Amino acid sequence: MSERAATAIVVGASSGLGRALAAELARAQYALLLIASDRRDLDALGASLNLAHGIAVRALALDLGREADPGARIAGTLDGMPPPAALLLPIGQSREDDDLSLDAGRIGALLAVNLHAPLAIVHALLPRLVESHGTVVLFGSVAATRGRGRNVVYASAKRALVSLYESLRQRYRSRELRVQLYELGFMATNLTYGMKLPMPVAEPDAIARTVVRRLERGSSKRYVPRWWALVALAVRWLPWSVYRRMKG
Amino acid sequence: MKDAGPADTRGFALADVDLASFDRQFRAHCRVQRPDRYRLIEALPRDAMRIARGSGVSYTAASFGADAISQSLAAFDRILAFDEDGGRLVAEAGVKIGDVQRFALARGWYLAVAPGHPAATVGGCIAADVHGKNPARDGTFRAVVERIELVRANSDVVVASASDNADLFAATFAGFGLTGVITRATLRLARPPAALIVRRVPVANLAEAARMLREAANAPVLYGWHDGRPGVFGRGVVRIGLATDAGEARAMRVPPPSRDLPAGIRPMPFALWNRAGIAAANVWLGSRWCRAGQSPLPLAEALFPLNDAHAYFAGFGKAGMVEAQWLVPHALFDEFAGMLAERVARDRPRIALIASKLFAGRPEGFGFDGEGIALAIQLPAPAEPRQRAFLEALAEIAITHGGRANLIKESTLDAATARRAVGGFDAARERLAAHNPGGLHASELARRLAL
Repeated sequence: MSERAATAIVVGASSGLGRALAAELARAQYALLLIASDRRDLDALGASLNLAHGIAVRALALDLGREADPGARIAGTLDGMPPPAALLLPIGQSREDDDLSLDAGRIGALLAVNLHAPLAIVHALLPRLVESHGTVVLFGSVAATRGRGRNVVYASAKRALVSLYESLRQRYRSRELRVQLYELGFMATNLTYGMKLPMPVAEPDAIARTVVRRLERGSSKRYVPRWWALVALAVRWLPWSVYRRMKG
Repeated sequence: MKDAGPADTRGFALADVDLASFDRQFRAHCRVQRPDRYRLIEALPRDAMRIARGSGVSYTAASFGADAISQSLAAFDRILAFDEDGGRLVAEAGVKIGDVQRFALARGWYLAVAPGHPAATVGGCIAADVHGKNPARDGTFRAVVERIELVRANSDVVVASASDNADLFAATFAGFGLTGVITRATLRLARPPAALIVRRVPVANLAEAARMLREAANAPVLYGWHDGRPGVFGRGVVRIGLATDAGEARAMRVPPPSRDLPAGIRPMPFALWNRAGIAAANVWLGSRWCRAGQSPLPLAEALFPLNDAHAYFAGFGKAGMVEAQWLVPHALFDEFAGMLAERVARDRPRIALIASKLFAGRPEGFGFDGEGIALAIQLPAPAEPRQRAFLEALAEIAITHGGRANLIKESTLDAATARRAVGGFDAARERLAAHNPGGLHASELARRLAL
């Protein structure tokens, strides 16, 4: 298989779903721009994907919690690469103490990763993505289905991504820019490792296959795994008097 | 770490997990960390005891212990660089040997020293200094490693090779993970033979097998298989894999990862390897394997020898098994084999399998090497008094004949016996301790052997 003349940008590529997406995109012969905070992880991932699939890989080490303009840094790194065909933003940072007890600094740090970074990166790359009729892939969370006393800032940011998804879809037709939002259930990552969870976890590799397979389809919002749509529906429709008594 | 609450450990990827050694002789409720980024390997508190863990296929409890956090290298499973002309391969420590072989064979190379279990990781092979299909010709795993990187408990990342941190490099082979968490290694590959044929030479006893092994020292594949039952003890076959010219080569079918022997094998609810089961298996194997002759040997079959051994290992049942592995000098081997046969005739232990190999190296540290013949003797249910008594007798016979034990294999050796069973034990222990300040790299194996 020959390399596509297109670049996929994966933000948060070093672990979990981001790493799985990078591997799946490499299998599909996209050139890759990988972004994560630690150069060592990026170099290892990039080298292994280049070796296994013969694709071009470029890496950018970026701390999204501190970077004022991550979009500009990424846009600058794209110079000389094939046109960007897909921007995937599987990023998310949560805290155990995100329970209405965070101070302003910590709230800002969570918002920087979970909301500011996706907004800023999408804004910066939008012209190039529209020019190439590309795809923006956002990742929400079932944690944002209905507000709870935990993951307060995280869920607020993830809920805001739904608004970003709607804004992009309202502004662009599918043939100009595809916008896809995946609402993720529990995933088998280092964040859930060892946790007792009420629902089965999905493997990042399986989700990545779904995402990459659907990359060139139209704009859509989708729960993965699909059955999470029913869970979300049930949570949303629960009477408030019942919902507020639920743990967590 | 034990007092750390959830807020302290979030992001460390820690879980409480029940772990058991591959031979099922030790189990513990452990904390396991599953880092997926380099900084998580370094993120544990500096005073936390830890030990690296690959696939967990070491027969002994080398990658866990009740008081240590097992750091799983499962996510560090990438091949990072490959020099097509020189055969140098850089891999992360969690890469499985089966995957290294698949990658290398597809490019006209192979790893000449590799253990039987395809799930064993590069890091595990270094820590155990494993041997392959003919250690007399190829040496042990240290012979194919040029450079390693380790993360020490103080978070220092150290590079070691024969010229750089040479003592650390040497101590890490058969260092059982106690010199630090190996994160990556540069391996030296070899060109595989175009094709192999295997000569089967029936032998009546172990002494005859030893003579045959010595005569075929340069064969790429060389080992003996023997019946361990009283009366026919040592009877078996020496298999000599010889390289042939390309004219006889067949298209190599390398088994896919799905065919690999899994790391975890669920035991059968009953033990298959009772006396009747062992007798039946030996009769069947004898009729299939022990006739003189020769036949083509697919290289893939030679490199993945345990892929068909799932039922064999499951057949040990919940009581598990033990492998005693002893290397006895040539001069004393025949006498050792004779005394062993007498002991088997008297004690009648249940022996599932005996394998013999030729060694011709120089023992270093805790490494299993030297000049002599090694026997790997696998027994079911080693906790049973009769089996236990035989293992103790075997150790005494081996030690009195200058035998050297493979510490990474046998779960039943205690510290005092191990000290007598490995020449230079104290010096090796001191060297390991010098590279493990505070004893922060720790495991059940290290505790049992007082390393």
